[in-house]
Amino acid sequence: MGRKTYNIAMVSDFFFPQPGGVESHIYQLSSKLIDRGHKVIIITHNYDDRKGVRYLNNGLKVYHVPFLVIYRAATFPTVFSFFPILRNICIREQIEIVHGHGSLSSLCHEAILHARTMGLRTVFTDHSLFGFADAASILTNKLLKFILSDVDHSICVSHTCKENTVLRASLDPLMVSVIPNAVVGENFRPRDYPTQSEKGEGFRAESSPRLLGPHDVITIVVISRLFYNKGTDLLTAAIPRILENHPNTRFIIAGSGPKAIDLEQMIETNVLQDRVEMLGSIRHEDVRDVMTRGHIYLHPSLTEAFGTVIVEAASCGLYVVCTQVGGIPEVLPSHMTTFAKPEEDDIVAATGKAITAMRAGKIRTDKFHDEVKKMYSWSNVAMRTERVYDGICGTISEEEFYGFDTTGYTGSRIRDFALIDRLKRYYGCGIWAGKLFCLCVVVDYLFFLLLEWWFPRENIDICRDWPRKSPAEDTAEDSMKAAPNQRSTSSIRVAKLDR
Amino acid sequence: MPSPTDDETPFPVLSHSASLSALDRSHLSPHDAFTYPLRQTYDADGAADPLSHLRHLKDDRSRSRRRKRAWKKLMWVKQSYPDNYTDQATFLENLQRNPRLKPYDFWPLVADSTVILQHVCSVSLFVVCFVGIYQERVSPVSLVSGSSFATFLGWILWERWVSEEMDQEEDVSASGIGIGITASATKSESIRRRARAASIRRPVVAPRIASVTPSSSTSRPSSEAASSSSSRPSAGNSTVNIQIQIPEGERLRTSRPPRHSSTTTSPSSTNSPASPTSPTSPISPISPISLKEPSPTGADGQPLLRRASSEVIPDFAPIPNEANRLHQRLGTIKSAILIYSTLLGLSPILKSLTQSTSSDSIWAMSLWLLAINIFFFDYSGGVGAKFPASLSTNAALMASTVLASRLPSTKQVFCLTLFSIEVFGLFPVFRRHVQHRSFRQHAILTALLILGAGWGVGVVMRDPGPPGSWPWRRGLGGMVVSVLIAAIATGGCSWWLIGLQRYKNEIRGPWDPARPIIMSRQRWESQ
Repeated sequence: MGRKTYNIAMVSDFFFPQPGGVESHIYQLSSKLIDRGHKVIIITHNYDDRKGVRYLNNGLKVYHVPFLVIYRAATFPTVFSFFPILRNICIREQIEIVHGHGSLSSLCHEAILHARTMGLRTVFTDHSLFGFADAASILTNKLLKFILSDVDHSICVSHTCKENTVLRASLDPLMVSVIPNAVVGENFRPRDYPTQSEKGEGFRAESSPRLLGPHDVITIVVISRLFYNKGTDLLTAAIPRILENHPNTRFIIAGSGPKAIDLEQMIETNVLQDRVEMLGSIRHEDVRDVMTRGHIYLHPSLTEAFGTVIVEAASCGLYVVCTQVGGIPEVLPSHMTTFAKPEEDDIVAATGKAITAMRAGKIRTDKFHDEVKKMYSWSNVAMRTERVYDGICGTISEEEFYGFDTTGYTGSRIRDFALIDRLKRYYGCGIWAGKLFCLCVVVDYLFFLLLEWWFPRENIDICRDWPRKSPAEDTAEDSMKAAPNQRSTSSIRVAKLDR
Repeated sequence: MPSPTDDETPFPVLSHSASLSALDRSHLSPHDAFTYPLRQTYDADGAADPLSHLRHLKDDRSRSRRRKRAWKKLMWVKQSYPDNYTDQATFLENLQRNPRLKPYDFWPLVADSTVILQHVCSVSLFVVCFVGIYQERVSPVSLVSGSSFATFLGWILWERWVSEEMDQEEDVSASGIGIGITASATKSESIRRRARAASIRRPVVAPRIASVTPSSSTSRPSSEAASSSSSRPSAGNSTVNIQIQIPEGERLRTSRPPRHSSTTTSPSSTNSPASPTSPTSPISPISPISLKEPSPTGADGQPLLRRASSEVIPDFAPIPNEANRLHQRLGTIKSAILIYSTLLGLSPILKSLTQSTSSDSIWAMSLWLLAINIFFFDYSGGVGAKFPASLSTNAALMASTVLASRLPSTKQVFCLTLFSIEVFGLFPVFRRHVQHRSFRQHAILTALLILGAGWGVGVVMRDPGPPGSWPWRRGLGGMVVSVLIAAIATGGCSWWLIGLQRYKNEIRGPWDPARPIIMSRQRWESQ
């Protein structure tokens, strides 16, 4: 008897074909979970003509539910309208765990609420950071508190993100796990990295000099959407100064956005057309090809929960210069990065330091790829997520999952489904909000009863499963108890099994 | 073992209140993290003292054997801790509570709130005057001539102050340029471009431009330099003013008329400066008026701008200060006459504007409009700030228009509209200057306004007695009541606000978007 496997539904507004961090996170995680023998489906809203059921690689089934999209791919928040179809899908697919992603996705919030009403376990993954000051944040935070007061477990992508989520939703810190994003190492190889597949080889096949001479051109790459919160203003201010201080350097900027015009003006004002190349928006597949053209990756973002792109850059063998904001300081070891304060002067200085270090040959960027591959892999993420599933479903005991703390804390962290207990949890959300939330939950429950009577469970067909993969033999407990080095080898073994 | 729900746990009231009382701490413990929002209600959700289990987690022997290496707040290291491990030493260590809290003091707060009091009082004075005219207790002509005379005096005072400041500025103009340049980083692109174009054309004027332009932004440090130099009566400067158009409108237009006197259809521009309406000239750029009288100000405004920027500058630049001031004054007077005559012409139309509307709707509407005026008024604006917030001023002028349309005779309509322009358009400018110059004058003005408004309201509240009787008793009563209300309002509200500061709980941490510090934006902009 191997590990227990689960039927998991990932719910989020954000999924392919839309590009983005959350989207690829969901896809990679689902695909690795499938590799580990689970059954995973994805529920999202429709994208253009993409409605109904689709299959992706690896037997990943995607439900595109038709919903009204209001703003940046987020659906209109109707509290109850998602329930009938969600119930139908969950019964059809025999779902046990509903896993929502993204705190701005109303689909995810609704799914978690209804799943609890239906008696399913729920997990929520937060991918973003929010402040507490402005009105939009206050509203989002209240909503998040509503949803998360009854969720079984939350996952955050960085420790900073965890602190933020714990504060925003008033959670028990032990009920929040930190599981980072990862990168697909094979997709982000350095330029001349020996590889078995031939596809990336023809690209700019010049041999990279091991040691950069004083007259070799150092290329600095920036790949980001050009928005205010990505720090494009800093970039615009810093580029002319960096180029002035360091003659043999050039910039490659990829990405588009409202701030692109500022960059273009800067280029024209300073006559830097030959030293700054703007590529416009590029597809995610091309990111690696752009990155491998450079030596240094500059990331001037003002807020970032995790910053997958800097991991990708390091994986491509680029030295990373980034602002010290959000979760970024946790992501990469110090020998791969130079941190700067989000100030123009500091960014100029840090980039200058990085350029000098590159010229001096002090940085072994050729080793970055293998190191990053050891640090972040999706199989590892899937394994750690699986442990969360085990914990909330009771496969591993509560003491094991939350620690031996029953002496001082007699309560259970396993959320039971009794309506009165759920109402108690919701009631604590605030003077007015608590009552409102209770009302919502009660209505939701009545709605559930109505649905049970109207569309009886027996009348819903059970769909046939995609043939499951045989689960990898290592158990979650083993991997958690294993020493760090053992754990990393096990994850590499899983990665090899996948190929 | 029956697993009790988390709600049945003993509820550590004491520890909660203890942690809450320590508001002056700058750091939160994980304990606070999820109790503070729930503190006023029944802590239903898992709030049962998380500290205890964290403590036990730490003390736990069987785990600590395995944890040889300390936990690090890093994600790239493989750690032998579970993913949901919460390190008590580092968790939320970067959280700051109320990092930039600036406690208020009582008396400065009261002093600052007098600005609001002044405005409310002037609005109520306006309403009182309307009621007086409406009930035919006040002669509209005497009211408007009195107020116009006051406005004229105010104008003379204001002009003297401005020229005094100008002379002071003259000496320190160099430093003013510096301020202007740094502050101009915040202003809008188009203005900047125009200013630059002007500076290229006329390098002599450039420093002045640099210090003038920030007046369109609300940046505080530059406001002084801006205000003083924008009113500098040099012709070269005046063109810049016209280009900016909005700030301190009355000064901008003042320099215009001499140049296009030959083209306009105005009555003779050599009217006596003692004309009762002359002080009203400053309001010419207010938008509602240009709405009402599109031909004189709006229509030839555009071509004029172009002409001014291209031809006129070189001709007028060498004219000495005194002559320029004279020009400016003449221009002010001229636009005053323009407005005067336009209002006169429009009054019959205004009179019949809302004939088909019932009076109740008008009262309700004007109440709302005046409320908008009070709530959206730019109280924080310094001397050189943008001309009174347009929404506020427009609302007030619309209120006066609809109120005026209730009046039976053209004369009354004209007087009330003129009066409203003086009260809502010009008086705030004067008040700002008074506040800027000396606090004592400001306080005296406030007291006068309060007393006047109280007296007026008291008198108007009651039906007019026999003609000729002076309702001094009512007036005195109103004064006393208004002084009481003013004291209670300012004092009470200030005290209340200070009291509310205790509940301020601003949370800052590494998750907040960083504020980028950009020094050299101007550098590539000006190259």
